[in-house]
Parts: sequence; structure tokens; C-alpha cells
Amino acid sequence: MRASKIAFAALAATLAVPAVAQDAYVVGITSALTGPPASTYAPAMEALQIYIDRVNAAGGVNGKQIKLVILDDSAEPSKATANVKRLLTQDNAVLLVNASLSSTYAPIVGEAKRAEVPLLFASGVCPREVYPPADPLQFCTTAYAATYDSRGALTFVKETSKQPVQLGLAAMAIPLSRAEMDFAEQQAPSFGMRVVDKEVIPPPTPDYTPFATKLKEAGANWVFSWAPWVTQVRTLEALRRLDWAGDYITWAHLESEGELVRLKDGKLFVIGANSLFQDNLPIHREIADAAKKANAKYPAQQMTEGWIAGMVIEAALKGAGWPTTPAKVQASMQNLKVDLKGLRGGQIEWTKDNHFRTKQYYRVYRWDSAKSVIVVAKDWYSYDVK
Amino acid sequence: MQLGVNIIVLAAIYALIACGYVLIYRVSRVLNLAHGELMMLGSYLLLATASTFTGHPLVAIAVALVLSLCVGALVYLFLMRKMAGEMVLAAVLTTIALGILLRGVMVIVWSAQQQYPGQALGVVNPAIALPGGARISTMAALLVLATAVIYGALFAFLRFSRWGVRMRAAGQNPLLAAQRGINLHAIYALAWGLSTLTGSIAGMLISLDSGLTGTMVLIGLKAFPAALVGGLDSLVGALFGALIVAAAEISLIHYVDPLLSDVVPFLVLIVMLIIRPWGLFGTREELDRV
Amino acid sequence: MSRRMPWASGYFRTGYAQDFKLIETRLERVSAGLFAVALSVFPFVASPFQLDLACQVFLAAIGSLSLMLLTGYAGQISLGHAGLLAAGAFTAGILFKEFGAPFWVTLPAAAAVGALLGIVFGLPSLRLRGLYLAVSTLALHFVVVYLGGEYETKRGYSTGIVIDPPSIGGYAVINPRIWYFVLLAAAAATLFICLNLIRSRTGRAWRAIRSHETVAEALGIGIASYKLLAFVVSSAITAVAGALFAYYRGFVSVEAFSLFLTIQYVAMVIIGGMGSLLGALLGAMFVTLFPYWIEAALAALPGAARYASVLFAVNYAAFGLVMILFLVFEPLGLVGIWHRIQTFFLLWPFKHRQVTGTNR
Repeated sequence: MRASKIAFAALAATLAVPAVAQDAYVVGITSALTGPPASTYAPAMEALQIYIDRVNAAGGVNGKQIKLVILDDSAEPSKATANVKRLLTQDNAVLLVNASLSSTYAPIVGEAKRAEVPLLFASGVCPREVYPPADPLQFCTTAYAATYDSRGALTFVKETSKQPVQLGLAAMAIPLSRAEMDFAEQQAPSFGMRVVDKEVIPPPTPDYTPFATKLKEAGANWVFSWAPWVTQVRTLEALRRLDWAGDYITWAHLESEGELVRLKDGKLFVIGANSLFQDNLPIHREIADAAKKANAKYPAQQMTEGWIAGMVIEAALKGAGWPTTPAKVQASMQNLKVDLKGLRGGQIEWTKDNHFRTKQYYRVYRWDSAKSVIVVAKDWYSYDVK
Repeated sequence: MQLGVNIIVLAAIYALIACGYVLIYRVSRVLNLAHGELMMLGSYLLLATASTFTGHPLVAIAVALVLSLCVGALVYLFLMRKMAGEMVLAAVLTTIALGILLRGVMVIVWSAQQQYPGQALGVVNPAIALPGGARISTMAALLVLATAVIYGALFAFLRFSRWGVRMRAAGQNPLLAAQRGINLHAIYALAWGLSTLTGSIAGMLISLDSGLTGTMVLIGLKAFPAALVGGLDSLVGALFGALIVAAAEISLIHYVDPLLSDVVPFLVLIVMLIIRPWGLFGTREELDRV
Repeated sequence: MSRRMPWASGYFRTGYAQDFKLIETRLERVSAGLFAVALSVFPFVASPFQLDLACQVFLAAIGSLSLMLLTGYAGQISLGHAGLLAAGAFTAGILFKEFGAPFWVTLPAAAAVGALLGIVFGLPSLRLRGLYLAVSTLALHFVVVYLGGEYETKRGYSTGIVIDPPSIGGYAVINPRIWYFVLLAAAAATLFICLNLIRSRTGRAWRAIRSHETVAEALGIGIASYKLLAFVVSSAITAVAGALFAYYRGFVSVEAFSLFLTIQYVAMVIIGGMGSLLGALLGAMFVTLFPYWIEAALAALPGAARYASVLFAVNYAAFGLVMILFLVFEPLGLVGIWHRIQTFFLLWPFKHRQVTGTNR
């Protein structure tokens, strides 16, 4: 007992951090920088950091610097909550960013609500609350969107396929991916497709062939997968090894551009909301230059998501003025239009009750074996978000 | 037919990983829970040598294999040697701690991205058609072959070679073995080295087949029930255990629910532990004496 | 009351009643009082962040105390701790979601589920020992987590089950200060339960089993029932800790109960010091706060933000490294260090304790 008292005093002493006078916009971030899902979030956070560094080097926003406080939560809910508490009470963040697994959302949202600080989801899946009617404090820039993605993908399959579609579905055994594949299974009949098989694959699988065998034997001529990239690509590779000649459509995660080049598979389609670097727009060259200059750890192709988050944060803070409060930032975010310069099919537009975007755009890419380049299989098409 | 091939490939993966657990346990009664991490380290070493010796895949593989053998021996010499005489739990926990340390270091050095050693080495991985309509990828075929060769070599080594006999002696009774002039530390270091080597071979072949991510650690853990079902101190047991677990897992994926495949190896394990705690081919622990 | 001996200074017990006293000397009474005052003042001077850390420490302390009972006293190795926490949390979550049950129903229910699982986790211990036992509990961990995940998916709570804060007499417990005292009380209650158990017949039986099972049996101790009892008690406490965790965080999700959590609890017991309740408390504090210390230390380095992703991997690696250092160089754990410091002051200015028996 006495020992714990001494230790407690020591604890109190080590944790007493003097309050710092605010002379910058403080943006607090909790992200899964380590742990199994880190490869989805870490590149985005690096991109965000590079973007904000550039803004700061160019004089900041409203003459003030932006200070990013990035904390790691290893995708653990309790760590994420503790991080957010720290960001709110110690760093006095005016804007919170979550780039982590969906299991961290619920506790973080609670903290953000209590403190009335706006919360931006960037590169993690958008929660239901950002769609109309939106929760006043939650916003999302992430490209992928549950249910819209399945509709976009199935629409493309229907248009592209010349024969009746025998659809196979592949999910990872995490709730999010399973729910989306269940949704696709429900929707398929209304697109005139028959679902022949749905595989739910546990993440630590040494060999994907058993699952691929089932998909192939069920007679699927199209397979749709909406899951983390590992599951998507390994299922495809296992299918090809079994000599399966069908078409495969899957979500264009950060890695997809590099992977399309690696796989060189003419019947692999990736559907996504972000344009690929293949398009070589001015903005793409800008990102590539910045990444090179900053000696980035991750390839520039994986930085779109973080870059978009950076553009949105810059615009939101600009609208909030100086000196600022979380309420001002929130007000600015509720009425925001950000031109993404071609990184997506259209701008990000937030209104009072839509914190997602008014139109969700999709584009489908594939590998053209004849020309040996990535080509657009279907140009921007969109769904109204209501 | 494809079902049979799938079972054999998965069994080979499990068996190759499991023999690493068995080698160390058999000799020093320590359970190495950092095996998954060491396996992953082996694959990363291959990635590193592949980019150093570009154009010479065989040299790269050979260097990576030697390095992983050394890593294993060094882990014993600098870490596990210090744990001699401590509680079993403490030794096991040390390996867990080592695993955490390695995982952190690997992220620092190679980042958390998915990597493809196959690309770096410039090896291709076409599928081979087997009679009966089944297909197998080249790397998976190599893995099955490697498992067969390694098990054959290990049996021969333990039965006929001088060091192999010493290793068995040290496992049976370390005190008597030491008194006969066997250098126990050298034996233990050798066991750790061999275990890491076989684990690394498994890791390298898996990553050549389907890429390298952080989930490899979990694959290492999944092979663990195979080792236990067969008996932790028996190589034959590891082989049969791997086959049983793989067959159970694949047939469940195929006929029942793929989701179960995550739990089933452990359920098989519980049943085994209750019926025959020392495994199919393991030796029964000695009775307590007062 | 103690009879002073001419050749030695110190405190000696002279009657059985003294053996059972929790607080023996005036110094102990004073320091315990001071400690209690410090604990009750802390929430009024601490920042919300520090308050949250303290609450995390209390939750961890409940879990590590129960694991200490099982592993440190009864000698039964368990790697299913995260599974048991998950079971408690899910019991609370499911009862709340399905029946809207209040906390005074869910907490006892969690304890009951924990006790039941304790029997299941404990059954293999009747046949298995050491590593094999550890592995069988590990297997049960996977089963519990699988079932929890199935519930989440089947009921459509894919981002976790959100639980309302518990309410006492219509007043919801949200205020972090109130949570602090609730969790402090829970941790203190657990500590007293453990203290009472280990100084009773049960505790002595457990220690006998840990020291030597065969001898214990020869002494007439019912091995099977005492082993099962250890599992039941420890699991029930752990499940309650899991339920409290669920209420404190306001939600439940399987991702929170990874194998790494089990490792952290085992690390608390080892780093704190095997076979000591004080060790369990110190270990819980150390393991919970360690990542924040490392973070603070790393943040002090120049250019920290730029290399954020690497620095956090450093944090992970550092945890492994510290665990290794403790295991290799301080097998007795924090409590061993504490005792050494105590002895140093007790014997000062001498370095070594007098060899007992020379004066007789």
C-alpha cells in the first residue's frame, strides 16, 4: 500500500504538464499507426502530415500554423479513448481526426460529444451518422461508403457482363465487410444476378485456395469482394491459380494502383472514388513531388486519401477564422465546399445535414494487357446521397 | 481432388512451422511463442537480401537462410540462456516479450506495408496442373517438397548424426547429458537455430506464394495446435497433428462454415488435451515424486 | 504488545489474533490513512486525462489481482484472461441490449457467467499442468471471442455494442470523478476479497498446491476442488472487471479483447512480482502507464511528429524490451525492488542482514 502511494505521487508528478498558450490551430489525431490494420491508415497519416507541413511552410492558415498531434491507438478502442481524452484536455484540440478501425468509433464519438469538438473520419469507414440527417459533430472524407459501393459495383457488373451473372462474394471475417457482402447478396437479385456463393474468410489465413476452390466450384463467373486489400487480392490470386477465368471486381484501396501493375490481370476491375496516379493530373504530380521532397516512407500513390483530408482540414480552419473555437470550426465545416482538383469525380460538399458528400462518384479502372497500362473501364458516375 | 491438394498444402504449412515448436520444446522444454515473429523476420531477411543481391536469387536465398540460422542461435545465446532455471512461465513469457520486441522492430525497419519478396527476387509463381484436374502453385508445391525434405533430413539428423544423438540425449536428461561431456549450451543454440531456420523457410515460401504482411505472426500461432495435437516433443506427431488439423479445417471450410476455420484447430486441441494431454505421439510427463 | 528481544529489533507476532490483523503497526495505520487521503484528493487536483489514466489503472488492478490469485497463488497458468474479460463485457452488453437490464442485474450476471466459465476453463486443470493448461485456456479464449463476434455481426452491431452509463436512483454515472470513486471502490473491494482469501484456509491450500501438488494432496487438501475454486473465484472477479470496463467505456466490441490484452495482464503479474498482491497492483500501474511514459519521452525528441509512425513502433518494441529486461534481470519484479529498498533502509548503515541463529 505504501509503495503504491509513492508511485502514485510519482505518477502525478510525471504527468503534470504545464499548459501551453495556444498560438496555432491544434488538430488532434488518433490513428492505427501500428497493429495489423496499420497499412491502411499509416500512409494516409503520413500524407496528411506532409500536406500540413507544406501549408505551414507557406505561411499557415489565416497567418497561423497548424499543429498536428498524432497519437497511435493500435486500433484498440481503450487506447483510442485515452488518446482522445488527452487531445481534448491537454492539447486543447479544436478538431479531432480519427483514422482507425471502426471499433474505435463509439467511445471516441462519446468523448467528442461531451467536449463538443467536431470529429472528422479520414481513411476509416464513414459511420452512419455522417449521412443525412447528419450528427452535427461528425464528418467524413473517406472514399469508401457502405451500401453505395456495392450498388456502384453491381451496376458496373450488370453493364459490363454479356452473359447472365453468377455472382460470388468474398468478405473478410470482420463485421463491416460481412455486413456489406450481406447487403450485396440482398441487392443482387434486383440487378438480375444470382449469388452462387459467399465466402467469409478469417484474416489470418495461410492459404486462400480452399475458399477460392469453393467459389470456383459454385460456378461463379463474376466475383465481387469488398474487404481489406489482403483478402481481396489473395482471393483473386488463389482463384487465378485454380485457372478460374472469370471477372473480378473489388474496391480500390490505397494499394490498388501498385497492385494492378503487379498483377497485370486484364479481368481485374477496381472500383473507387479516388482517381489513380495513372491519370497524371497536375495534382498527382504535386503530391508525388511533395512526397519525394519529404522523403516519404510510403509511395505517393497511397497518399490521395490523406491529401484530401489535408485539403479539407485546411479549408475548414480557414473558414473558422482566428482566434478559433471548436464551435467555429464546426460551423465552418457545416458549410464547406472543397475543390479536389480531380482527385475525385467532384467536390466535397458539406451542408447542415449532410456531412458525407452530396454526390458519391465512382470510377472503375482495369489493367489493359495489350497496351500494358492501367485504363479507365468506366468513367465517373455518381449517386445522389440523400 | 482439389480438396485433397488443399489439405496437403495446408498440412505442409502447419507441419513445417510446427517442427520449429517441437525442436525447441523437445530439447529444452521451452515453448517458443515468438516463433511466428521469427518466421516473419526470416521472410523480411529474404526481402532484404533480395534487394542487396539483385539478379542472384539463389545467393539471396542462401544468405537469408544462413542469417536466420544465426538469428535463432543468437536469440538463445543472448536471451534464452539467461532464463535457464527460471519458471516455465517466465521463459515462455520471455519469448512472448521477444515477439513483441521483434514486431515493433520489423515495423520500424520495413514499415507495415504489404511486401512481395517474390517480385524482389524476380521469381515467378505459375500454377501447375496435376492429374485429376487439381492445380497447385509452384511455391505451394515447393513448400510441400521442402516439408518432406526437411522432415526427412531432421529424422536422419536426430537418428544418425553425432550432434543429433547429443540433441536427443540433452532432451531426455540434461543432467546426465552434461555429465557425459555434452555441451548443453551448444545443443540448445543449435536447436534454436534449426527451429528458426525451418520456420523461416516456411515464412519465405508463404511470402513468395502470397506476399508478406503482419498477419504472418498469426499464421505462426495457428500452426501451434498442430504441434500440440501431435505431442509437443514428437516430430512424427507434428506431422500427423498438422494433417489432422488441416483436414478438419479444410473440410469445415468446404462443407460447413468457413468462419469456423478460425476456431476449429483450437477445438480439436481442447478435445485432444482432455483425452490425451501429452498428444498423439508425445511422451507422458513423469509422475511427481515426493 | 510484542515482546522485545534483547538481541534483535523489529516487530514480532506473539498471538494468532495478530496474525490475522490487516494493519499491524502504528506506522502502517498512519501511512494507510495518508494513502486513503491522497487517493480521495487526487481526482480534485488531477486533469481529466490523469483521471482517465487512474481509472484505467483501477480497472487493470482488478484484473491483475484476480490473475494473481490464480497464477501467483494457486499456481495455475491461464492465457484466457482476455477471453474472461470479454465474457463479462459481453454479458453486460447483451443483457443491456436485449433486455435493457440495469447494472445491478448485469454485474452479478457477469460474475455468474464468469464463475461458470471458470469451471469450464478450470476443468482441463484437473488433468493438465503448466504449459498444456496455458494452451487449453488459450483455446477457450478463441472460442469466447468467436461467439462474441458472431453476436455482434448477427445482431448488426458491427461497430460495437453501445451501452448507456449505469444509473443509480435515476442519476447516470458519467462524471469522471464519480467513475473514479466507483472504480476505486471496486478495486479496493477486490483487494480486500483477495487479502481475506489468501490468509484463510483457502489461500493456504492454494499455496500448498502451487508449491507441490503431490505433497498438498498427501496433506489432505482436495486438489480438484481447490483448483476449480481458484478458477471460479478468479474468473468471476475478472468477468466483473470486464463488465465494469464495458460500462466505463460505454461500449463493447471483440476487437478490444485481443490476445495482446492477455499478454499485458500476464506481464502485470510477472513485472509486478509473482505471488504478491502488492505486485499485482504495482504491475497493473506500470503496464498501464508505461506506454504513456514512453510516448512522453519520445515526444520530447526533436522532430517527433514527422516520424510518428516509426516512433509508435518504437513504443511497441520498448514494451517488449522492458518485459525482457524485467524477466532476465529482476525475476522478482517490482515488488522485489521494493523489498530491496525496504531492506536497505531497515539495515542501514549495514549492508547485510545478520545471519539468524548465530546468536542463539
